[in-house]
Amino acid sequence: MEDQQPAAVIHTTGLTKHYGSVHALVDLSLDVRPGEIFGFLGPNGSGKSTMIRTLLGFLHPTGGSARVLGLDIVDDSVEIRRRTGYLPGGIALYDSLSGAAALDYLNDLQGTPAVRREELCERLQMPPSVLRRKVRDYSRGMRQKIGVIQALQHDPELAILDEPTEGLDPLMQQAFYSLMDDLRDQGRTTFFSSHVLPEVERICDRVAIIRSGHLMALHNVDDLLARRKRKVSLRWRGIAPELSSIPGLADVETDGDRMTATLLGDVSGFVRAIASPSLVDLTIEPARLEEAFLEYYAGDDASEEVRG
Amino acid sequence: MNLRLLVQTLRWNRARLLPVMVVSFGWGMLMPVIYVAFGDAFKGLVDSGVIPAELMNFGSGSLFTLPGALTLGLQHPMTIAFVGVFAVGSTVAAIAGERERGTLEVLLARPLSRRTIYLTVAAAAVILISLVIIALLAGQVTGVAVQGLSDELDLVQVPLVFLNGLLMWGAFAAFGLAASVTFDRHSPALGVTMAYLLVNYFLEILGSLWRDVDWTQQYSLFHHFQPGNILTGTVDPFDFGLLAAAIVVPVAYALIVFPRRDLAAPS
Repeated sequence: MEDQQPAAVIHTTGLTKHYGSVHALVDLSLDVRPGEIFGFLGPNGSGKSTMIRTLLGFLHPTGGSARVLGLDIVDDSVEIRRRTGYLPGGIALYDSLSGAAALDYLNDLQGTPAVRREELCERLQMPPSVLRRKVRDYSRGMRQKIGVIQALQHDPELAILDEPTEGLDPLMQQAFYSLMDDLRDQGRTTFFSSHVLPEVERICDRVAIIRSGHLMALHNVDDLLARRKRKVSLRWRGIAPELSSIPGLADVETDGDRMTATLLGDVSGFVRAIASPSLVDLTIEPARLEEAFLEYYAGDDASEEVRG
Repeated sequence: MNLRLLVQTLRWNRARLLPVMVVSFGWGMLMPVIYVAFGDAFKGLVDSGVIPAELMNFGSGSLFTLPGALTLGLQHPMTIAFVGVFAVGSTVAAIAGERERGTLEVLLARPLSRRTIYLTVAAAAVILISLVIIALLAGQVTGVAVQGLSDELDLVQVPLVFLNGLLMWGAFAAFGLAASVTFDRHSPALGVTMAYLLVNYFLEILGSLWRDVDWTQQYSLFHHFQPGNILTGTVDPFDFGLLAAAIVVPVAYALIVFPRRDLAAPS
């Protein structure tokens, strides 16, 4: 388990939530550090939304405790929400209002100036002409953009985003990723729930994997990727390169002048080892978080492996 | 209470409010006209024995006196429909409707406690119900003046009638809000609240038409709304107290239950 960090933006200790006999969260302990983008990964029904809703005070924990921005989630829920921006999954908005009126209304209730709205609208391509239209006339993607803007327009210390790119086209997804990068650069913290693995891989610093309410893993994304096996294939002319001494290479299959294998660990060592004039072609597939994710979901046992 | 939420809640009701107030005013004006036009005729029918006196009563109202006619207007199903738009329709939709639509999510994401949200929508309900009752009473007072019956109406008592009416409809609104914070969907909240209102109304009407079971009226909130008695100077504090209690209980329930409820993700 990680060492307890007093400065954690989110700190949970044995957080547990039961609905009758259903165990939605089980003894979940984790820290989200200031200024990081923290990915919270899990399939539908794994407990991601339950975790978020418990942190925001929508649900009451059955056991354990949690602090957000140093505040207790049970006693200080209102203050937590004052300093937090939240994008619910599958956000519903007030259809009878225009986009601008919806943002005004929600920001008035937030009680904090919407210092980032103009920038967000520009980056997510929501010009005034679009904001003047009724929400009921918006596409799903436009509603999602309004959802992102309402969550971030008051420049919260912590953003809690549940499936934020759902419904966004690839161009807007890139704009969103860029926005996340900038928020991180500005020291803002983001708690990011998703089951879209490439985007978690793209923007998150650390990732927690949850299954059936259990925390299965907590890793730096880079570390996680470094621990994944990559598929490598190479082709040579003449004498086959010596592969047996390369650390991390396994599942070697040779077919004439072609070879495929899996590589665990350092790529540079592998490249140095096979470098020779006889090498004609080399392909190293990038390590994917998806494989790590699937690995954690392959077994039935909820054995925990948690690293900082 | 949150002023911005209150203003927005009232804005969302304004499209319904104006027509309901206009119709309520018109309906209020009509009762003195009916009293003048048909009051004596109905009294003659009852006195002749052709029609039993019970059938000339409706709840606590009748057409034999001006206060009775005004009471009849304030307890008529038409009035229930007008005030019910806000006392039942708006209140049951206030929380359960937002929850069903999913918009409660973005509302609860703001720094608002659930008690603040509840008290704000309750305040909006009080304002909306008050405006409709005022429109009804204004219509009645105008009708009385137009018919030249002002000397039969003690205007000083009208504010007490307003208060009595507000307490009764406030009790139904409080029940509707309690149902609204209890259910995740609008339909069951509406069903339970409508059942509560209809049972109360049934007990009142049953007792007024069938004198052998007139004890049922005591169990109806409608029976403790007595504009006729108030206008004739007979004010029973028990009626006011009972209606106030009928507000306090569901309000207390909602203030306890709503903040403690788990609000799972909308399905």
